[in-house]
Amino acid sequence: MKNYLFNASYFLKEVKTSLGQNLLSGLLSLFSIGLIFFILAMITFGWWAGDHLIEAIQSEAEINVYYDDEDIDEAGKASLVENIKEIQGTREARIVEQQEAYDRMVEILGKEARVLEVFDDNPFTSFIEVSIDLEEIDHVLKKIEPMAGIEHIRDNREVLDRLQGIAVLMSYLGYLAVAAVGISTLIITSHIIRLGIYARKDQINTLRLLGAPEGFIAFPFLLEGMLLALGGGILAVVMVSLVINFIYAQISGTLSFIPLISRESMTWGLVIFIISLSLVFGFIGSFLGFSSAKKV
Amino acid sequence: MGMIESKEVYLEYPDGTIALKNVSLQVESGELLYVIGPSGSGKTSLIKLFMGIEFPSKGMLSVLGQAMTKGDAAPGKYSRRLRRMMGPVFQDFKLIDGRNAQENVMLGTRFLGLTPGEIKDGAREALIKVGLEHKMFSPVENLSWGERQRVAIARAVARKPLLILADEPTGNLDKENALNILDLLTSFRDENTSVVITTHATHLISENDDCRCIELEAGTIRRETKGWTKN
Repeated sequence: MKNYLFNASYFLKEVKTSLGQNLLSGLLSLFSIGLIFFILAMITFGWWAGDHLIEAIQSEAEINVYYDDEDIDEAGKASLVENIKEIQGTREARIVEQQEAYDRMVEILGKEARVLEVFDDNPFTSFIEVSIDLEEIDHVLKKIEPMAGIEHIRDNREVLDRLQGIAVLMSYLGYLAVAAVGISTLIITSHIIRLGIYARKDQINTLRLLGAPEGFIAFPFLLEGMLLALGGGILAVVMVSLVINFIYAQISGTLSFIPLISRESMTWGLVIFIISLSLVFGFIGSFLGFSSAKKV
Repeated sequence: MGMIESKEVYLEYPDGTIALKNVSLQVESGELLYVIGPSGSGKTSLIKLFMGIEFPSKGMLSVLGQAMTKGDAAPGKYSRRLRRMMGPVFQDFKLIDGRNAQENVMLGTRFLGLTPGEIKDGAREALIKVGLEHKMFSPVENLSWGERQRVAIARAVARKPLLILADEPTGNLDKENALNILDLLTSFRDENTSVVITTHATHLISENDDCRCIELEAGTIRRETKGWTKN
């Protein structure tokens, strides 16, 4: 370790020399890595934003409980609501009266609400709106179904399951993107390191003849690979920050009801994620490059 | 203590060429040894054995107390450790172009656990010893062949080696430079440092009673003499 600390300036000078010898290749590699990490950052942005959105929707999971309005009086309805509230997994339960159900539909339909005018009477019935913890849905349904006076339960499970499916798909896509970016970065970094090794094979052989440990010889190449990937990572982070700013500016104006992670959390999360990944892939890539070109 | 001890050593290359046959010799601490012989007689192969670049096919070889056996688990690792105690000098200098003389000398000591100050001072002292203090910051590609070999010797000496191994150090030099280089190399021999020099240019070796000379021919020791006389 002492050798590495004492020779920090030597290693940096070696990296500078190596990058100078392959300047064009180095720059092209840096831009390629930057673009690859930018694509990863955008996919990750979609992954995290989607996950957050789905979580937000799931946290507001509701089921609607319909009862026989003619058989149950007001006291019976109140007692039903109280019984439902006591079930584990229920967060809130309240009666939505017939008129409120009608008004909600008018709001949802907007200009198209005139279709409701064809009905002489209010076509909607009152129901009990129950907010639940999604993971407790089976338990809640099992407890409500046998209650006296219950006619029908709409649990929106199909929609919730589909959202869950999208979340899983997004995470698979995310992992796939990380793997693809990892492999591409490893190939690019190890290739540029191999070029550097072949360009300086005489120096490497001399160091070996002088008894330099392999780690000492490899260190400048590992550093070079890490710096190259880090450069690409920083480029990607700058580009993705600009894109995130643009997207958030658009959404906050026209689609402000979409629940998004805060811009700061998203940007910092991506910065840490991309920079860490670039360092790790840079190190592994240059290590592979050095190992594969050991016998120069 | 014997710096190098070899007993009935053979070296056979993978293509079947037998480079050394039944070589037995000993190099003591502080000794000056010339290994002479025509091209292809096995001088470089012998140096390769001493440096752990090759390993004996048969026989026993010990360098600086370390047995050099092909079957060792990590011969490369042993060799590297050994080489750090040696000062190798090569016919083609093996200097790094684009770096100045001081940087080239420092390259030989950077991995020996020295502080940056010790590395720098050591390189300066070594360059003064070989008479190149005025060329310390000259890129090596701008130096003459003789100066380049002096830089290579400074790189070897800066390591304060127990054993200086010089393989045909005068091969690329004119007579005057060659004589200077041999004088310089032999001057670094002291009670702790042995010097082994291979050369085919026997006419360059100064008469010297205080050395030993081994003559190789077709991979075997043809003659071993104490001291060196021109005739």
